Amino acid sequence: MRYEIRVDGHLSEPLIKVFPELDHVTMSGQTLLFGHVVDEAHLYGLLARCQSLGLRILEMRQVPE
Amino acid sequence: MTGLEEDDSAAAEDHADPRGDPFLRTRFAVPARPVTYLRRERLTRHLDQALRTPLTMVNGAAGAGKTLLVADWAARRVRLPVAWLTADAAGDGPGVFWAYLLRALRTAGVALPAGIGVPADATRVGPALPVRLAAELSGRERPVVVVLDEFDRVTAPETAGQLDFVLRHAGTGLRLVLVTRTEPLLPLHRYRAAGELTEIRGAELAFTSHEAAQLLELHGLRLPPAAVSALVERTGGWAAGLRLCALAAGQSPDPEVYLKEFEADRSTVADFLLAEVLKRQDAGTQELLLRVSVLDRFGPGLANAVTGRDDAEAVLARLSRENAFVEHLGHGLYRLHPLFAEILRAHLRMRRPGAEPGLHRRAAAWLRRSGALGEALAHGAAADDWEFTAGALIDDLAVGQFFTGPRSEAMAELFAAMGQDSAGPAPELVRAAGLLARRDVDGGLAHLRRARHELAGYDGTADEAAARLSCALLEALAARLAGAPDRVEDAARAAEGLWDAVPELLDRHPEVTALLLDHLGSARLWAGHFEEARAALNRVADSVPGAATALPREDSLGRLALIDQLNGWPGRAERRAREALAETERFGLPRSSGSGVERLVLAAVAVDRDELGQAQALLDTSADAHPALRDPVLEACRALTTARLHLARGDPGAALRAVEPEVPADVASPWVRCGTALVAAAAHLAEGRARTAAGLLARVPDGQVACAVEAARVQLAAGRTAAAVCLLDRVDPEGRAGPAVTVRAALVRAQAADEAGDGETARGLVGRALAEARRERLRRPFAEAGPWIRPYLRSASPHRPTTGRPAPRSGPSRHEPPPPVVEELSGRERDVLRRLALTMSTEEIAADLYVSVNTVKTHLKSVYRKLTVNRRNEAVRRARELDLL
Repeated sequence: MRYEIRVDGHLSEPLIKVFPELDHVTMSGQTLLFGHVVDEAHLYGLLARCQSLGLRILEMRQVPE
Repeated sequence: MTGLEEDDSAAAEDHADPRGDPFLRTRFAVPARPVTYLRRERLTRHLDQALRTPLTMVNGAAGAGKTLLVADWAARRVRLPVAWLTADAAGDGPGVFWAYLLRALRTAGVALPAGIGVPADATRVGPALPVRLAAELSGRERPVVVVLDEFDRVTAPETAGQLDFVLRHAGTGLRLVLVTRTEPLLPLHRYRAAGELTEIRGAELAFTSHEAAQLLELHGLRLPPAAVSALVERTGGWAAGLRLCALAAGQSPDPEVYLKEFEADRSTVADFLLAEVLKRQDAGTQELLLRVSVLDRFGPGLANAVTGRDDAEAVLARLSRENAFVEHLGHGLYRLHPLFAEILRAHLRMRRPGAEPGLHRRAAAWLRRSGALGEALAHGAAADDWEFTAGALIDDLAVGQFFTGPRSEAMAELFAAMGQDSAGPAPELVRAAGLLARRDVDGGLAHLRRARHELAGYDGTADEAAARLSCALLEALAARLAGAPDRVEDAARAAEGLWDAVPELLDRHPEVTALLLDHLGSARLWAGHFEEARAALNRVADSVPGAATALPREDSLGRLALIDQLNGWPGRAERRAREALAETERFGLPRSSGSGVERLVLAAVAVDRDELGQAQALLDTSADAHPALRDPVLEACRALTTARLHLARGDPGAALRAVEPEVPADVASPWVRCGTALVAAAAHLAEGRARTAAGLLARVPDGQVACAVEAARVQLAAGRTAAAVCLLDRVDPEGRAGPAVTVRAALVRAQAADEAGDGETARGLVGRALAEARRERLRRPFAEAGPWIRPYLRSASPHRPTTGRPAPRSGPSRHEPPPPVVEELSGRERDVLRRLALTMSTEEIAADLYVSVNTVKTHLKSVYRKLTVNRRNEAVRRARELDLL
């Protein structure tokens, strides 16, 4: 499964490193994290990581492989 | 429930949580408000509603100001008791959660009776505890306010379900306030629909421009309204963001210019502000903040241990005063605000790559030295240092915790990550314990051999005594599971020789002695040495009750009950088995956590009393025993009881199949071999194969009285009257065994007399048997005696021959128990029945189960039919008798 998660704001380098398994692009005040998500447990784990870092999720969706 | 008096044992029992760790007092403390805390009346007024609704939920993102709002409100509830509990970062299993909640209530001055129970298993809690707690709280005149902070960390769905149950049955006695980042798993919609929910959510927690201006002013920052509004917009009114802003701006030369820069920056708010505040600290403080981010909570000592400096006390005090990341929890303990801990860890990983394991190792070593074993193990595991972690466990003599239920699963989980490459006696012992806990005897023995080999090279230190003692304990268990009583005796002797070397450790770990004696007792039971077995088991049964020893105590009581039953004392056996059950009940152990041998004993007693449905139900519920207690005694006991039940039901084929697979054991057990042969002989006899039966009997040793009487019975049934009487004369059961044996012996003699035409003697013997049987409610011996007995039973009543005992009012048939349950109750019917037992009305049950009232009535009807009763209280009583509740 490939997913992309759009969060508010630009992520600093330490924060980007919290998501080593995902790629990222920064654009117009938002950061897009994207990459392969192993399963649902991984997906919820990513959400929890965002929450624990105080990130605001704007959008999350599955994208075609 | 035993009563309402508060007794001292309650305090003694719950001095530690089910994991055996002391309670962390800081988790019960209402968090202190910083001097810059701003009380917002609109929120406190809304929160006042919490006193009028059973459930209140305050939710919002990390740093939204939830905890401080509720803490400030709770601190001003002077007229009501407030129990505060902060969930643990590691996530509490239900057992730990309830233990802490009970403790929080007691800390708040809510008197709870000792009979309310103590959870002994960290990961599970039985249904009785929530029921008792609800009953207790519902009787209160004034409510107790319970605040559960950081409830999002409580992830076990059953905890949410049990809380919901308590809340709905505690009536006005409980006001629950959940402070959480995520919506809890309670059925919020139902509370909302019934107007029983007060909700304060993120949007309401956000600061308005007016409030933000006040907050900034508390920080000594006066800004024009436009600047404040811009700031509120940039932070979304987020409390932590505003606070950090004030801190960062306050330290910059021109706050307004600084805030303009912040507005223009596009970084995520928390990250940006944290970096800003962090870089304003001096280098030493920065390093300290980065390093303590691997700790959940810490005092100055632990902080010094991870920084390698000695100035933590002053730095932490200053940081918590400035309200920058660090919160003071009281009792000299601090923690980082969870949000910032997470971000700081991210910074740590980048700035000091690879430093984390070393920090965990330092923390583990310090915690181990200060006696916090549980936390030391967690950090040791996080450092991936298994020689240290296993060593800490073994040196502390905590290896029994793999088995005693309280933290067995946590232990298995913790050490699951241990690879095969860590060497030394401690890792080998831990591996052996893990395998034995899952009943892998061969695997466990292989590691034990290696551990023993390693230990042989060591010499006399106190640590070594702990390792050797652990080794002996595990060897005793392995030998017990393998059915090798001599090896258990050897291991127990080896262990006893080490007791004096580690007295304090044994005081702290009563489960080690209890487990060892339980292994010893059970092995002696297997070997047929009942008196010696009783001596060992009694020492466990008489030990001080506690969560750590609940499991071996239950098992020992169950095995003592088995000895009584084998000796022919069903009444005593039943009482003792009920004690064992009460032990599990008291500590909230789920059924599968013990060996369940007491259920097998009750089933055997039920067969003797001809209560076959009940026997079947008990056998069914005893199926899933703790793997480490599933020893040959238990397996043999299950096979024999099952076979006797089949015989009683007239199905000899099934009885033969039940005893056919020999219970694997290194050494055969005399009474099991004898019992098996007798059941097989009786089955063959019932199917008309007298010769086969006689052949089996020839191999039965007559050392055991109960066996000899059974053998005599089979001899008689096979037509060998003289041999039967001769056998009885030889073993002389009277005075050596209990009624279940002597009644059968009397009936064998009576039948022999009847066959010899001596009706008077036969009548006398039957009368005596009836008198004895009546007190024990024994019916099976008469049912299995055969048709010859009928005339004697009919005439036995009014004037009876002299036996020196008062004549019974009637034969045992009058004492007929209610008919057995023939049909199993369905899951839904059990659900209804359980609620019925809580005296819930039909309507309440319907609401609780999300079904219509008519559906509940239908279930009730079929429950009544299956239990052959007509009323609810009869149904409940009957269900209790049958152990269905």
